[in-house]
Amino acid sequence: MSAAERFGVKPRARDQLVGFGLCSAYVALLMRTAPAIGMARDEGIYVDAAQRYGAWLELLLKAPRSALARSASDAAFTANHEHPPLMKLLFALGHLAQRELQLFGSDSLGFRFAGMLSAGLLLWLIYLFGTRLYGRSAGLFAALVYALLPRPFYHAHLNAFDVPITCASTAVIYAYYRALSQPSAAWLTGLFFGLALLTKHNSWLLPIMLGLHFALCAGVELLARSRGQPARLRLVPYGLLALAIGPLIFYAGWPWLWHDTWPRLRAYAAFHLHHEYYNMEYFGVNYFWPPFPSSYAWVMTLFTVPLTTLALGIAGALRGLWVCAQSLRPLLVTAPPTATRSQPLAADPGPTLATAPDLQPSAAPRHDPTLPSVLLAGAMLAPLLLISLPGTPIFGGTKHWFPAYPMLALFAGRAFAEAASLIAPRARARRLSQGLTLALAAWLLAPAAVETAHSHPFALSHYTAIAGGVPGAAEKGMNRQFWGFTTRSLVPYLREVLPNGGQLYVCDTIYWAFDMLIRDGHLPPSFRATGDIARADYALVHHEKHFAEVDHQIWTTYGHVQPAHVLLYDGVPIISVYKNPRR
Amino acid sequence: MRYRLLILLCLLALPLWELGAHAMIVARVPSPEDYRAAADFMRGQLRERDLISAAPSFSDPILRQLLGDRMPLAMAGRSDDAAYERLWVLSSRGALPPDVPKGAPELTRSFGELRVLRYALPPSRILFDFVSAWSTAEASITRNGAAQPCPLRTGGVPRGGGLGRGVLTPVARRFECDARLPWLFIADVVLEDLDNRPRHCLWQHPQGSEPITLTYRDVPLGAELVFYAGIYYEHERMREGGPIDAVISIDGQPRATFHHKDGDGFRSLRVPTASIGKPRADVSVSVTAPQPRARSFCWTATTRAPAGAP
Repeated sequence: MSAAERFGVKPRARDQLVGFGLCSAYVALLMRTAPAIGMARDEGIYVDAAQRYGAWLELLLKAPRSALARSASDAAFTANHEHPPLMKLLFALGHLAQRELQLFGSDSLGFRFAGMLSAGLLLWLIYLFGTRLYGRSAGLFAALVYALLPRPFYHAHLNAFDVPITCASTAVIYAYYRALSQPSAAWLTGLFFGLALLTKHNSWLLPIMLGLHFALCAGVELLARSRGQPARLRLVPYGLLALAIGPLIFYAGWPWLWHDTWPRLRAYAAFHLHHEYYNMEYFGVNYFWPPFPSSYAWVMTLFTVPLTTLALGIAGALRGLWVCAQSLRPLLVTAPPTATRSQPLAADPGPTLATAPDLQPSAAPRHDPTLPSVLLAGAMLAPLLLISLPGTPIFGGTKHWFPAYPMLALFAGRAFAEAASLIAPRARARRLSQGLTLALAAWLLAPAAVETAHSHPFALSHYTAIAGGVPGAAEKGMNRQFWGFTTRSLVPYLREVLPNGGQLYVCDTIYWAFDMLIRDGHLPPSFRATGDIARADYALVHHEKHFAEVDHQIWTTYGHVQPAHVLLYDGVPIISVYKNPRR
Repeated sequence: MRYRLLILLCLLALPLWELGAHAMIVARVPSPEDYRAAADFMRGQLRERDLISAAPSFSDPILRQLLGDRMPLAMAGRSDDAAYERLWVLSSRGALPPDVPKGAPELTRSFGELRVLRYALPPSRILFDFVSAWSTAEASITRNGAAQPCPLRTGGVPRGGGLGRGVLTPVARRFECDARLPWLFIADVVLEDLDNRPRHCLWQHPQGSEPITLTYRDVPLGAELVFYAGIYYEHERMREGGPIDAVISIDGQPRATFHHKDGDGFRSLRVPTASIGKPRADVSVSVTAPQPRARSFCWTATTRAPAGAP
């Protein structure tokens, strides 16, 4: 067991190879499993935007002057200007690569590839961060912990922003953390912050969170110096100062803001500060207006993150914070000496496993001036606390606090490293020790692997055993799904009952998402979506509490209550399909 | 060190619990064969005035898929169980519906992970169902003090569908009170109430301070008239709409007023009729609202014999 806040190693070239391997394997897995996941509502909107942005990119290559003219850039970037463009531009590149080179095998994969890549890069990043903090096995374990979270695994497939912003936020935090001891890395903080701003508005909170962390570090540093300890932290916040680069990148990267900048910027901020509220079921109540339940984010985390993973993360966080508190105690109880003197700063002043104070029994515990446990805990709790405010919309399910999960995974990596250190030293032979560590990792990751595999492709309907699984959560009145993507799972049935195609009322599936089923070849072009229940051959209802209304519309219009088919997941209805008796 | 080992052992035990619980949850999911066998058994035993229900409520679409042909709109959108004399429950996970009678079921059969239960309900006291008889009634709209009939119309294709659309119009068969205002009609519909539950009821949207009226001739009165009413979920949930009044008259005499204000949900009013002193009478329901916008009033009513009457 280590009583150090961190006991990791500096990542080397081979660690980059491990990170690359993790990234590649995860992207390959996502590409293999993606065809079973239909396009989600938001993805459909971003497909439309990406196609427009893609046309602009083509114009930019052919006639840059024309593309940069206001008329052309506004025409392209008016679409979905509620969200910044970085990911949509990357989706567009994937789309163009598929269109021109048939690189991905299907249209949807072309759009989705950039999102999948961001998920792979996030694993790489978690591995490096975990290695630096707690060692290689912890880093690897943390990356796998994140990879095996059922809901993030689903979202990792999508051409949406939630996983990319998680990646970008984690990159900003990692770069900031490195800049604390290595100012030359500070520019990366600004670069990543700019990319985060260009990805999603979650990034707005990063400067506040990092600023609070640095204020705490600086306060501890000043206290330590006043107690006669040598200087161990630079009081110039290079990482924070570098964040100033972010807005410049944001402006430069978003052609929509090049004209009417301030009104458009204000409109963008206003859209998110006064966001529309959507429906979300929670314990049998359909919430559509504030106040929203403060327990939502915490209970949903408990119900959707595999319990072993969650327990490891919490154990690692508590242990890290405890060690931090213990190391700070001498500072708070020791009287200041009469004189202090600074010493030269080390490049990386924190202890490592080899030099950790607990391994040198005669030495007093020494605090880590970068307070990494506080940084991770703050980054983990901030999104959850924000969602817990009664006025914050909860319609996104768990995705709005995804940036918390890499931190949870890192803490789980810490707990794993400490657990392994309890078991492995007892094994005399090195191979046996490694085998035990491997077995421990496999055992601790097994529930998450099983749950994640079982959740596919219904992850938004998936709840873990502590919620009673899918049927237990349905009985408790938890949200069943959103975004209408599950229509993809009906394809075999639809092809069977409508061999010559027909008209479908597709309920929550947006037009572009339904169209992608045809573009990908899942359904023939003879299938058409209609907004009229009465004119459809078959009508779908995606089971969410507030969509009961559509059930009732169908009952009244068709004159019966009998679905022809019910799509089930663990015995829980996901979609009901009604046949129109008049067609 | 002892504490650390204890925590370690707990952490090591968690995957065992989690994997075991997951396996049990999945294993307890009823199979399609269980459902088919249970439904076949129920279908063979069903008779008139049998109510069919599923528990937990999430399994209701599965029940309707299997036995929906024996579940009319009136059953799926019922306000209470008064019209039924036996209750069949298709139960999984040991769940029972909230309206199940106290006491043991008179029949229990198991089909894999499913149970079929049958409960005896009190004899039905329903004498007259206003919803099922709506097209035999007379509808009128009052304008400038003069009542004009709302003719019975058929045909037309309802448009659209989806969230916030409420009841789709035109309903295939309806009393049409103003062709220019498609919501001013009377017909039976299934409406989503404030609790997102289905209500099979008579749509009678008010037009303003002057009433829209539905009159039934020669209705058997019995001991009481039980009236339920509410409005469409999205018209009520923001609590922004004005009040609605429905005056229930018997032989032209107002006997009760059902007052709806947003937030009430779908609720009931009992009107004693035994004291009227005659077995049959004309019954009318007149609906008004000073601010009629988005006041999708919908009601259902029955007259009932005295308790214990044959």
